[in-house]
Amino acid sequence: MGVVEKLASVTAAYPQARAVAFADLSSSMVLASQGRANVTQEHLDRLCREARTSFDDPLFGLSVQAFGEPHSAIVMGPDSLRVFLRSEDDPADAICSVCDHGIDLTGFLAKLRETLHQISTGV
Amino acid sequence: MNKALLPILARLHSLQTVSHLSPDGGRLIASRSDPNPIIVVLREINETVLARVLHFTTEGGTSLTIEVAGRRILRVADAKGLEGAEPCLAAAVLEDEHKDTLIKLLQALAKPRQEIKLKVGSGTHGSDGISVGLPVALIADLLLVELNGLDAEVVSDVSPPPQVEPQAPIVPAVEGGSAIGRFARANGPVLMAWLILGGEEDGVFEGPEEMVEHLKTFLDDEIKDLTAQLDRLSAAPGQPICLGLGASLSEGHSLLCARAEGSILLGLAEGDCTQTLMQAWLSALQ
Repeated sequence: MGVVEKLASVTAAYPQARAVAFADLSSSMVLASQGRANVTQEHLDRLCREARTSFDDPLFGLSVQAFGEPHSAIVMGPDSLRVFLRSEDDPADAICSVCDHGIDLTGFLAKLRETLHQISTGV
Repeated sequence: MNKALLPILARLHSLQTVSHLSPDGGRLIASRSDPNPIIVVLREINETVLARVLHFTTEGGTSLTIEVAGRRILRVADAKGLEGAEPCLAAAVLEDEHKDTLIKLLQALAKPRQEIKLKVGSGTHGSDGISVGLPVALIADLLLVELNGLDAEVVSDVSPPPQVEPQAPIVPAVEGGSAIGRFARANGPVLMAWLILGGEEDGVFEGPEEMVEHLKTFLDDEIKDLTAQLDRLSAAPGQPICLGLGASLSEGHSLLCARAEGSILLGLAEGDCTQTLMQAWLSALQ
């Protein structure tokens, strides 16, 4: 299964996911994405920037001090939920997602983590 | 070619996904196996909301450069190897009378089974209040192209697993206090130490004093940069926002930083905070 199909399996399993993207955070580039048709390139670029911001100082620095480098971030706003996971093997590899509030967050995180691991390791 | 692109191209290749990058910096949007590439051409235009210059080139040597904004084609800036482009090229802004010519140009450009590349440049027109040019939806209708058919096409091959209704985590109703205070308390014991800065519950905290003191020192030192970080994640400065950072968020420790109604909460969570986090946030904002 290619990366696009792996991402598609996430959106198929969790229809509340508006977009799921695999990105290279070091270059701020979305390499592949899946989601609703009205998600534009501008949305994906913004999602990638937000992933970088989430794993940025000052909160990143506090996290490193407190318990080590974080690999998971969640951003909740009034209208949406964004989830960003970095690969533990290569922290530049990340999966970025924006979804509706009604999603099963625990299951969704597990699915995203499994998908990121598969993509990152080429499984 | 920008050398920084090389590792990214190599990565795309290794991922065995369709590479959307061409060596000269553009994106490959149609391949030789594509029987009807005009669909992707129109979808690319439709997805371009901001003012942009789109430069389409084909492996046959033809090219079309158009200015777009707000899902409208404003003008044709250049056309190479495409006959009959003059009326569109001469128009300062495309109007209804140009639609048939434009359709012929797009059809001549997007011939079946050839590679088409797209380079996107900055546009000169703002997209606010665009009411000129030709709507891409109109061109798509005339060509019987469905602009929003991506979901069905791409996902149809993937059998969705049976849907399991997510169990609603039990979040105790917390009444009284500020929104940010209600959020902190609704998370329950998983939020082991927290402190509020600003607003009606300024200085309120819970948890071991040593931990709270550490959080306070951080907030005192970093409040300006922390506010800027939250603003970069918000649609507008000062908007309610919550950022959680952790190794996994479902085990170990995590940091929670939330802002609402002029107050900022900083807290340390232990264990699985995903069970309560979202409901606590939504109920606090109500």
